[in-house]
Amino acid sequence: MDLNNIKDAFDRVTKKQKVSSSKSQEVVEQMSQEIEQALSGIQSATNSTFPQPDHNLILTELKAKLKEIAPLGQLEGTQKELNLALSKYIKLLEKHFNPDISRSYRNVDFDLHTINQIIASHFYREGMFDIGDCFVNEAHEESVVDRKTHFLEMYQILESMKSRDLGPALKWATTNHEKLRQNGSDIELKLHRLQFMEILQHGRRDEALKYARAYFSPFANQHLPEIQKLMACLLWAGKLESSPYSELLSPTHWAKLAHELAQQFCNLLGESYQSPLSVTIAAGVQGLPTLLKLMNVMNGKKNEWQSMKQLPVPIDIDQEFQFHSIFVCPVSRDQASEENPPMLMSCGHVLCKQSITKLSKNNSTRPFKCPYCPTEVEVGQCRRLYF
Amino acid sequence: MEPLPNGNSTVTNATTASATATSLPSLHAGVPSSKLSQLTESLKLEHQFLRVPFEHYKKTIRANHRAVEKEVSAVMSGLSDAGDLSQDDAVQHLNSLVSRLQGLKRKLEDGSRAENLQAQRCRARLDHLESADADNISEWNNTRLKRILVDYMLRMSYYDTATKLAESSSIQDLVDIEIFYEAKKVIDALRNKEVAPALAWCADNKSRLKKAKSKFEFQLRLQEFIELVRSDNNVRAVMYARKYLAPWAATYMKELQKVFATLAFTSNTGCEIYKVLFEPKQWDYLMDQFKQEFCRLYGMTLEPLLNIYLQAGLSALKTPFCYEDDCTKEDPLSQESFRKLAMPLPFSKQHHSKLALEEMATNNNGKITCPRTGLVYNYTEVTKAYIS
Repeated sequence: MDLNNIKDAFDRVTKKQKVSSSKSQEVVEQMSQEIEQALSGIQSATNSTFPQPDHNLILTELKAKLKEIAPLGQLEGTQKELNLALSKYIKLLEKHFNPDISRSYRNVDFDLHTINQIIASHFYREGMFDIGDCFVNEAHEESVVDRKTHFLEMYQILESMKSRDLGPALKWATTNHEKLRQNGSDIELKLHRLQFMEILQHGRRDEALKYARAYFSPFANQHLPEIQKLMACLLWAGKLESSPYSELLSPTHWAKLAHELAQQFCNLLGESYQSPLSVTIAAGVQGLPTLLKLMNVMNGKKNEWQSMKQLPVPIDIDQEFQFHSIFVCPVSRDQASEENPPMLMSCGHVLCKQSITKLSKNNSTRPFKCPYCPTEVEVGQCRRLYF
Repeated sequence: MEPLPNGNSTVTNATTASATATSLPSLHAGVPSSKLSQLTESLKLEHQFLRVPFEHYKKTIRANHRAVEKEVSAVMSGLSDAGDLSQDDAVQHLNSLVSRLQGLKRKLEDGSRAENLQAQRCRARLDHLESADADNISEWNNTRLKRILVDYMLRMSYYDTATKLAESSSIQDLVDIEIFYEAKKVIDALRNKEVAPALAWCADNKSRLKKAKSKFEFQLRLQEFIELVRSDNNVRAVMYARKYLAPWAATYMKELQKVFATLAFTSNTGCEIYKVLFEPKQWDYLMDQFKQEFCRLYGMTLEPLLNIYLQAGLSALKTPFCYEDDCTKEDPLSQESFRKLAMPLPFSKQHHSKLALEEMATNNNGKITCPRTGLVYNYTEVTKAYIS
């Protein structure tokens, strides 16, 4: 986004502000000087034997001088320019930004308690335990504290992995051996492999062999080639860097495995890998501009907006927010549903059932032309698609 | 650029080539332009982020200026009012004016220091917006979520969490904690059924509240009147009304009459219309009212940013599929709490078919497995059969 003209306008404001404040200082300085001068005039009159102007005369002169300086008038001038710069900047902000992003906000009951629970869970699952505790206290949402303990373990494991300690990770994997196997995850073997390489890298070949014997055997059935490769590494102990297996030493394995572990951990907890709050807010940031544009178009029809069951326009959000396969009939533009499922025609093109019924004029044996290619299709040959 | 289809004429090839050659070199090579425009659109949502510290800055400038004007005109009138004085009196008078000006000088220095600090904060915000680009976007988005959360905490009066969260990520300059502490004083007082700080706040912002045709001060005065009636201080109540309520008579006659009638009904009335006026929830109402006025004055949205983004996000994500049993856990709407919030919101609309198999594909070298037949396909082939 080009912020240059906004920055320029802001520079103008600060410049005028500085001018204005040095003007104030200058004016005040001027005034004090005049008064002090008058003061010393009066005081010297008392000490002098010569006839001096009367103190009241000095006072009158001072009044006249200050009137001439017109301090308030001076202040007003710079202040006026400053005010101009200030309001100009605000107008510029309103022009370049969306001054009210709440325009598409629906005035509905948005339960405070539910939002607070979502936030507390977010803090815990992101590993911000202190802040989570503080929030739970302040908002009186004590019931969420349970969730903390789960994630506490995960972050302890990840923290240890950062300092190359696989102990807690392996302990967790062993405890959950059966569940991980059911989910088709080989993370336990991956952890053992990393530990094995770690031992070997430090040149302790015998220890590595012992480790392999103790822990690899349960995986022999399913992962034999992998294990064979690891055993071959034993031959290269001490010069692994120049071996065909040097790739196994790459530090990226640690980062990747930490990521995978977090994924599996969340999976076992029945949680999503990403914080649902982060996901929703990110989707909101992408969707909100479209909604605000929609409000511009719907200008004033607030009631209509409040009662709408489906948005009248599509919101383009990234693929990462696409959690469901959706079929939209290219003919009717309807979203496929249980009543109106997508049907595959014999040519490979897909339409919704209602569109096919319409095209065939409700006659199952009468062939019709596919709207996308020259093929003649019969309803009887169409098959339902499942996503 | 789209790969050119086979059999394309050389003419088209030539024009595309020249188009590429003449287009300006992009600063963000490799980032699709849709991504960039998406980023620009999202930055346009950050009005409050720039506006609030600027309003604060402006307020400080105005207050400082008013202080100077007041002192200078006081000195000027102090001087012109001085008539025939004895010499000693004249010296004393001038001395007092000089020390007054010296005090003002110190005040000015403090004032301009405060102004500069706030200007710095405004600039930090501009710099932060400018720093958002394709390379640091995920970190930037993380910070945005934290900013949104701090905003929520501050509006809900969870000040400790707000402060802790801001400090833990060193984003103090990017959130408005100080400004909300100004509100805290008033809110805490209203919670204790005290109106004085709220009235002081109204006096501080008199001209702007007047411009916005705010009713808040009138409502505070009504509440004070009610409290006097509650404590059977009828004479004082009448005096109070003459002094503080009468000026609003022209604008809010009806309400005024209704509240005056409480003098007759007293606080233990059974009459519903007047009974509510004595209920403690009137104070909650004043608190809400204050929060709204406060947000409006600083150019903030009246709703917490979090709620606004949550609603938009939930609407964008909401499809009938979210409510099916096999909804993936990665979808926030698979969770009860998110479903509850999404209930009164509209479903999203789809214009194009989408396959949500990308994740499966990226995790499996571009292969996906059919759940019904167990057959394995290439992701690219699957989309081909999926015409729309």
